[in-house]
Amino acid sequence: MSLLKTLTVACLIFISGVPVYAHHVLGRPSYSLGEDSNTPPSMQVETQIGDFYVTYMAFPAFPKPNEQGRVNLYASRIDNGLPFEGRVTFKVRDDRWFAGEEEILGIQNIDDSVYRQGFIFQEEGDYIITAEFSSGGEPYLIDFPLRIGEPAAVGPIGITIAILFVVLITVNILQRKRRFSLKAKRAREDNNT
Amino acid sequence: MIMNHPGLPDSWMWLAVMLMLITVAWTFVKTPKKNSKQVFIAVERIPLLGQLAKLFSASPWPLLIFKFVSVALFLTVIAAGLWGTPIAERNLATTLTWTVWWAGLIITVFFLGSAWCAVCPWDTLASWLVKRRLWRRADAAASLGLKVPKIWRNVWPALAMFVGLTWLELGVGVTTNPYATAVLSLVMIVMSTIYMAVFEGKAFCKYVCPVGRTVGFYAQLSMVELRPREQQTCSDCKTMECYHGTEEIEPCPTHLVMGSLKQSTYCTSCSACTMSCPHNNVGWRIRSPAVEAIQHARPHWDEAWFMLGLLGLTTFHGITMLEVWEQALSRFGQLIGDSGQLIMSFSVGMLLVFIAPVLLYSLLIKLTQLLLPNKIDFKQLFSKLAFISLPMAFVYHIAHNLNHLIRESRGFTDVLMNPLGSGSLPLSSQELHMRHMSPLMYEELLYGLQAGLMFFGFWLAMQILQRRTMESISEQSGWRGYYLLPGTLFIAGVTAFNLWLLAQPMVMRM
Repeated sequence: MSLLKTLTVACLIFISGVPVYAHHVLGRPSYSLGEDSNTPPSMQVETQIGDFYVTYMAFPAFPKPNEQGRVNLYASRIDNGLPFEGRVTFKVRDDRWFAGEEEILGIQNIDDSVYRQGFIFQEEGDYIITAEFSSGGEPYLIDFPLRIGEPAAVGPIGITIAILFVVLITVNILQRKRRFSLKAKRAREDNNT
Repeated sequence: MIMNHPGLPDSWMWLAVMLMLITVAWTFVKTPKKNSKQVFIAVERIPLLGQLAKLFSASPWPLLIFKFVSVALFLTVIAAGLWGTPIAERNLATTLTWTVWWAGLIITVFFLGSAWCAVCPWDTLASWLVKRRLWRRADAAASLGLKVPKIWRNVWPALAMFVGLTWLELGVGVTTNPYATAVLSLVMIVMSTIYMAVFEGKAFCKYVCPVGRTVGFYAQLSMVELRPREQQTCSDCKTMECYHGTEEIEPCPTHLVMGSLKQSTYCTSCSACTMSCPHNNVGWRIRSPAVEAIQHARPHWDEAWFMLGLLGLTTFHGITMLEVWEQALSRFGQLIGDSGQLIMSFSVGMLLVFIAPVLLYSLLIKLTQLLLPNKIDFKQLFSKLAFISLPMAFVYHIAHNLNHLIRESRGFTDVLMNPLGSGSLPLSSQELHMRHMSPLMYEELLYGLQAGLMFFGFWLAMQILQRRTMESISEQSGWRGYYLLPGTLFIAGVTAFNLWLLAQPMVMRM
């Protein structure tokens, strides 16, 4: 689709939108206690894929190693709101570069409009849960983040310190070189005169 | 659970509209004056404020204390973002950065100009790292001190950064992600340090920093300015310590000469000029917030785009918090087969909202060109009249941010006591309701301020339009009210839309 056509269609759609309740930024986790403050906190991610709205909830919101947890997945059609009724495969992999093999957590059938998958992780870390299903001959793969235990955040600080260190050292070396060549130049000029 | 802030009631909206109509009628009837009398009050003459201003001008220590506080808070924000709870409303990184600082900063510009830049932690940390001095003039060899290449000596990089920041803020959702907020803070430190280590002065602040440039442009509408006390003293000055610095004090980091300073855009309020001037001739003064944008600021092509960018992006902020936005985004995402986060759809929507005011503004320039008696270059008129977008962006920005600040910052002291949010739970429905129902300010007062601000921005934009249009016509041509017609339609259209945005229920951010 040409850029002009895309912009025109987008313009028409943006103008003709009907009011609905907006939520959070799609695809970003949000945390809530639910309607009843006695319920354990949950982490929720909403996303849209193909013909479906997908909502994923993790209980508890901050699972620890060796602690039983559960993910709930709701998938409903965007056009008529009807729930998806096939089977959903839940897989898991490490959320890092050069992650290892994906493991299957389980294959679930719908139960009261919800797909429920339990889990227990033994190690702390950031994981990606993938929910996989197919509808209308099309495969659907949805990734959701899941953190187990406390985060290790030395990465960004380490990278920042390394960059700053390299920059400051480089500038220092260059300035020393500059000074040295300036001194040498002056000395040559003095010798000539 | 979704909470919506109530919009501006109709009664306030119509009151603002009525005042705007009166302003239009008055502007069209009135013949503008070539030279208007300007009144200033030196801050030094005001009790208490004067002593405070003197304290900051005479010694570097008061400012340094503020810098320490700002750096300490900034480092806490990074620690909280990296190691604290991911619950946005319980973490200092997100609450302080987006709900308190980013929302409150724009409001402070009206009263304090670019004072924020003087204590900015990005610049302070970069200065300390590169110059290895707390405040004294550094060894020239501390930085490579290269001149910024001519092609980068403009605010295009700052505009690109501002667009990028808005995209991260609203599209990617950095505002609700403490970790991403901390990473963004680290990126800003790295960028400002690299710029300071490589280029002379504060090139990052002047050409790249999206916050610094936003504050700088809005400072044109501030009620305070840093200027020479006696113009003649500056004219007679041969040493120009404000520009060159002294043995102890740094030169002006953005290369401003106090004697010819007419525009606050690039002043970072660093106090170098007030401390270095041997004649004690530099000081703060209170002025009409209209004077700079109306007549003193000089038009530039890149700056005109930045001001229009501010207008488009501030309006965009409001649009994204409407209920209708997400539905439209979702439909479009489905049509183009966008990813789950709808990033592409969001980017297209953002582009549209950014382009719309520029296209309308270009049309206004074309029509004004046709109406004016003498021929004037499109680019020249485009740059000259772009100042009208500044008050409209500024007042809407403040009015919108007031909503966030007044309605969402309740509970901030709890976050301050537990910056990492250790062991805290997400907001319960009851807490959300409590926050929603008890804003920090009496609700009618908030509405009054919002309506008043919108009218003030409209009035200011009309004044700028009239003055800048008059400057564009030759002495021989007489003044005709209809020269203002395209500009008035643009100002009225944008203000009406922004007013309508304010009247809509707004989705609570956190």
